[in-house]
Amino acid sequence: MLRSDQILSTVEMIQKENLDVRTVTMGINLLDCRAGSAEQTCKNVEKKIALHADAFVDTCNEVATRYGIPVMNKRISVTPAAFVGAGFSEDEFVQLAGSLDSAAEQAGVDILGGFSAQVEKGMTATDLAFIRSVPRALAGTSRLCASINVGSSNKGINMDAIAMMGTTVSQLAEQTADQGGFGAAKFVVFCNQPGDNPFMAGAIHGVEEADVVLNVGVSGPGVIARSLEKTIRSKGKENLCLDDIAEEIKQITFRVTRCGELIGRQVSRELGVAFGVVDLSLAPTPKVGDSVGEILSIIGVDAIGAPGSTAIVALLNDAVKKGGIFASKSVGGLSGAFIPVMEDAVLADAVAKGQLTIEKLEAMTCVCSVGLDMVPIPGDVDSDTIAAIIADEMAVGMINNKTTAARLIPVPGKKAGDIVSFGGLFGESPVMEVRNVNKSSRFIAWGGRIPAPIHSFKN
Amino acid sequence: MKKQLVISVMSKDRPGIVADISRAVLELDGDLADLNQSVLGGYFSMILIAEFEDVVTPEDVIAGFSHIASETKLEITIKEMDVPLEIEKNNLPAETFVVTAQGENRKGLVSIMGHFFHRRDINILDLNTTREHSLYTMIFQVDLTPVASMSLLRSDLRELGRKEKLDIVLQHNDIFKATHEIATPCSGVVEV
Repeated sequence: MLRSDQILSTVEMIQKENLDVRTVTMGINLLDCRAGSAEQTCKNVEKKIALHADAFVDTCNEVATRYGIPVMNKRISVTPAAFVGAGFSEDEFVQLAGSLDSAAEQAGVDILGGFSAQVEKGMTATDLAFIRSVPRALAGTSRLCASINVGSSNKGINMDAIAMMGTTVSQLAEQTADQGGFGAAKFVVFCNQPGDNPFMAGAIHGVEEADVVLNVGVSGPGVIARSLEKTIRSKGKENLCLDDIAEEIKQITFRVTRCGELIGRQVSRELGVAFGVVDLSLAPTPKVGDSVGEILSIIGVDAIGAPGSTAIVALLNDAVKKGGIFASKSVGGLSGAFIPVMEDAVLADAVAKGQLTIEKLEAMTCVCSVGLDMVPIPGDVDSDTIAAIIADEMAVGMINNKTTAARLIPVPGKKAGDIVSFGGLFGESPVMEVRNVNKSSRFIAWGGRIPAPIHSFKN
Repeated sequence: MKKQLVISVMSKDRPGIVADISRAVLELDGDLADLNQSVLGGYFSMILIAEFEDVVTPEDVIAGFSHIASETKLEITIKEMDVPLEIEKNNLPAETFVVTAQGENRKGLVSIMGHFFHRRDINILDLNTTREHSLYTMIFQVDLTPVASMSLLRSDLRELGRKEKLDIVLQHNDIFKATHEIATPCSGVVEV
């Protein structure tokens, strides 16, 4: 028999601290779907997704009910579409987007990721056609997410692609202006994009992966926040140091990770699908009490973005990794704390109070995943400035050998301080101020590549 | 020919009681197969299964235990098993769940839960309860093999909790194994 104090502490974690499994994502390889025509390829894609994902959502729900731990999101990721549609025209990629969207609907998942390309060193004719198709593809679909990898620590940064990313983000916002530029919220630009990340909008099923794989994202930051509050209350602040805080985060992450992996392995066993990785990321939601910003506040900054915020994020990110890596047999994906402004009510509030700026967010992304995420900016910020913000964020990832991403949302017709709301998991926030607009065009106009950094030459 | 005896012992707890009982079993050339002991409120209780030579009788065991010192009288019950108990097969069933129920202390709480399980043919594998100030906590390890619908059972437990003002939580035993047994990776928990 297990010890009663252990049972009660786990029950508390599940019931009172709202433990859940944040996402179970089924990765499906679509490379064998390519046929002689776009029509046939699209049919094959829909058929293959239906074949593997048919029982996916029901099985997740059954396992969640059996174990009493909710699985918040059930998603699908696929092989980057630019590989699947090699040789496609722009219109044919838009057609493929429609097929992926209906396959997602058929499978009962709210989001499918993998409308993607990997262009960190150069772009093929297919890649160019693919990138040009992205604004129309996302404006015309509701469940599809797109991502493009434009840099890596091994290959450097493709600045021609970065320039195109600036215009793509602007076009996405313009084409979905009636929804506040929501199209841009479904599009992420990456450096060092992992092929086994279960979190959206940047999930893909990498070409290095097996045919079908299940990856799991563990619970949100709410569990850690409640557990820290409880420890501080019971032991007394004066009796604790930061080492104790880090230890507490490690301990709770261990248990959270174990629960996530248990559910994921059970689902994969019942579906007969290989289990991939546990992604140890803390993914906030707009729900009160499920915020990474709140953890920063508990650990000791009175304003999110105040000096000390970056150090706290570093401690948090590292402790989460240490607890989770020991707990799980296979860790992967992004594995770090997310700071998506619109999806984290405490971060959004800090923006409203003028405490959190894009520059501070960028600094914080140096020590955590995943980057400038869900950052609403004024609709009139020019494409070159957007491209340059993306370039800065990619450089952070390239030099630090880590994943970084940019999901910037120019909100048409809005200026800094105006509120934008997408509802649900996408949340709301005031539009963030972008300083020094229109001052980076000469840099972006160069094109070419930022060469691979010196520490990439290890052969 | 060997015989199997189930022996239960109760006494006021003191240091050395386990040593005395195990020596008494040894002196009768007994072989301990399985043993479980606990102390509740300073009172010692042990149940053990041991194998003896066929000539050893329950009376011999009682005589062997009679010299064991106890502040209260040492209570012994002995049952000879006609069909030996299967000691090896004590793995938990796959559908082992843990039900915790907490509420303001009052009479009859364990009885309410016990009846709830009984009505559904659910066997209680282990039970532990504690009272801390006015909070009464019950932890049942139960075998839900006979339960056809988990969602119905969950809603019945919710209803019971509401009616009896108990905070009732049902979780699969694997969750506790996964979160507290460091040496058991999740792949091991799922494959068992």
